[in-house]
Amino acid sequence: MAAGGAGGNSGSGNRTYSFKVVLLGEGCVGKTSLVLRYCENKFNDKHITTLQASFLTKKLNITGKRVNLAIWDTAGQERFHALGPIYYRDSNGAILVYDITDEDSFQKVKNWVKELRKMLGNEICLCIVGNKIDLDKDRHVSVEEAESYAESVGAKHYHTSAKLNKGIEELFLDLCKRMMETAQAEERLKGNGASQSASSRRGVQIVDDEPQATPAGGCCSSG
Amino acid sequence: MSSQRRGIHLDQSELLCKKGCGFYGNTGWLGLCSKCWREENQREKQKQIQEDWALAERLQKEEEEAYASRNQKAQSQPSITPFNKFEERKTKEKSSKVNTVTKFFTPSSKTQPKKDASPFDAQASPSPSSSASRHSSLDTDHATREFIDFLKPLKSGREIFKQCRAFTESMAYKRDMGADELSECVQDFYQNLSDRLQTQFKGSSEHVESVMDEVEKYMMTRLYKEVFCPETTDDENKDLAIQKRIRALHWVTIEMLCVPVDEEIPEVSDSVVKAITDVIEMDSKRVPKDKLGCITRCSKHIFNAIKISKKEAASADDFLPTLIYIVLKANPPRLQSNIQYITRFSNPSRLMTGEDGYYFTNLCCAVAFIEKLDGQSLNLSSEEFELYMSGQASPYWPQAAGASSCSPGSAALSQVHKRLDLLTGLGERQERVMEKARQLENDLIDWTDEVEQKVQSVLQTLPPETQNPTTTTATATSAASSAIDSDNVENELLPPPLQPQVFAG
Repeated sequence: MAAGGAGGNSGSGNRTYSFKVVLLGEGCVGKTSLVLRYCENKFNDKHITTLQASFLTKKLNITGKRVNLAIWDTAGQERFHALGPIYYRDSNGAILVYDITDEDSFQKVKNWVKELRKMLGNEICLCIVGNKIDLDKDRHVSVEEAESYAESVGAKHYHTSAKLNKGIEELFLDLCKRMMETAQAEERLKGNGASQSASSRRGVQIVDDEPQATPAGGCCSSG
Repeated sequence: MSSQRRGIHLDQSELLCKKGCGFYGNTGWLGLCSKCWREENQREKQKQIQEDWALAERLQKEEEEAYASRNQKAQSQPSITPFNKFEERKTKEKSSKVNTVTKFFTPSSKTQPKKDASPFDAQASPSPSSSASRHSSLDTDHATREFIDFLKPLKSGREIFKQCRAFTESMAYKRDMGADELSECVQDFYQNLSDRLQTQFKGSSEHVESVMDEVEKYMMTRLYKEVFCPETTDDENKDLAIQKRIRALHWVTIEMLCVPVDEEIPEVSDSVVKAITDVIEMDSKRVPKDKLGCITRCSKHIFNAIKISKKEAASADDFLPTLIYIVLKANPPRLQSNIQYITRFSNPSRLMTGEDGYYFTNLCCAVAFIEKLDGQSLNLSSEEFELYMSGQASPYWPQAAGASSCSPGSAALSQVHKRLDLLTGLGERQERVMEKARQLENDLIDWTDEVEQKVQSVLQTLPPETQNPTTTTATATSAASSAIDSDNVENELLPPPLQPQVFAG
């Protein structure tokens, strides 16, 4: 409903993916700038037209598949840390942002990763993002350290700059592809008959083809 | 103007009941008296209910027939039939739909003006939920009508209506079930229905969404009484607990929460008030979607307030503290019940990824934060926190002697004071302006006097000899000209005009 476009053009017969992505990270690491740059291509724009930058959507078309991305910004202040689980519940991906000039913010990311893995397991696609690479001369988090850490926890690492618009498209595109893979894998698992009733109601995937045989007499199903 | 008499003029007979029973009628009752109106009404109502039932039964029959015949056909030619059959039914439905639907609606349109005719509803309505109050049954009637209206143009509208109705009625027998099980039932129903719709409207998920919205609206309006804050849960206790908690936290200030909102700006405080109103209004809605709508509107007002204060788009870092502040100020009624109700019975996809879902999640966060709030999260020492909580101290007290502007309670008052100051300032300025004006006036008068004096003095000093030599020459016209310039001072100084003299020749 957020993206209520008139895209009722059927015929593709393809599925539409809807993904929820949470943005986590300490305050002031540039989470908001990152999404604003991605969704509206704006940075520190004085002539703001956007009312808010905490919930943004983006429609993508990846290899012929439609993807609706909903990006949830979260409050980064320390005192709201305990509320994290309410935000990242049911999300398909998480973008963990740190500031390369701020060692502390990287530590926060590590905490988030631990928590997410504990709560959501491997279902969630993690991206660790070192933002503000335009300030490389003040770098306090080494590239090697960050990348090796990301690898060790099964996350991908990216370097971005919202100011220079670097690396952001790649980040989101990559994340979408990974989330699609995860969704497809999950579906295959379900197709094998290992569907749990709990996960079947997550309702994030909308399948258009393959009518599920519903016993009660539907209009098209022949019984 | 043919008629001489104006105003209301009625014949005595026109005032009587149209049925001729001798009592006076009322235009509000279509000219009937109260007794006849009630009778008439009851008949119409009954007729409507009967038709409703007839329609439902006919639908059932048709459905079964169609289903049976489809199954038969399907056995003979399984590959093509479903679609053919579907088309066939569509056309059949189209023809029959028009009259059934109009029949269904005619009585209702006639009986629209009356507002209080539901006792018949309660006694005759077949649904077990009819024991609900008059008001709610009127509401549910309205919802049913709207739902049917919405489904009218849909090819499988009847099927949907039948299912929803059956499900809604079956829910009434599950009253003893726990809230979570009820929620499970409803959610499963949503899921099944949307799955089936999905297979029917190939590819258009927007369409399915809009149908599901209406389904939710219809069902939840009817089920609201039973499933909102049910007795089987401790929602009510939680409501009271959070209400108490928020009341105890009345002293929390904008500064403690680091809310980036400057209430001194009139538009901002306007937005804050609107946000508070919206979040309170949530309780008055029945449908989860409408409740979510209230939260969304509240959030939009908050964003507006932040945007005006900070002059940039609001991020979540700004939004959540502000929302917490708004919730603390508003203390919305039955907050926990509403949250639980939305969680249990809203369309899941809306909560999961939609914009409404995001704001709802933030509201949940705000409530969770308020519940767990301690001194540390407000940058206070635990002693201070305890003092404030027990009411032994207030953050306003130290400043109270000085400027009262810090207290949100007296924010309006401080604004009034400010305005008053402004007004007195303006008054002074006006006084000064007036004074200046008066001075200017005096100056002007003085100046004209001065100029006059000067002119006089100049005139006096001017020698009278400086006369135009031409005036001395005698002409016939000079008399006339002197008459015109009679008030000319100089003229008096002139020598008398020459008189014509006759010279004897």
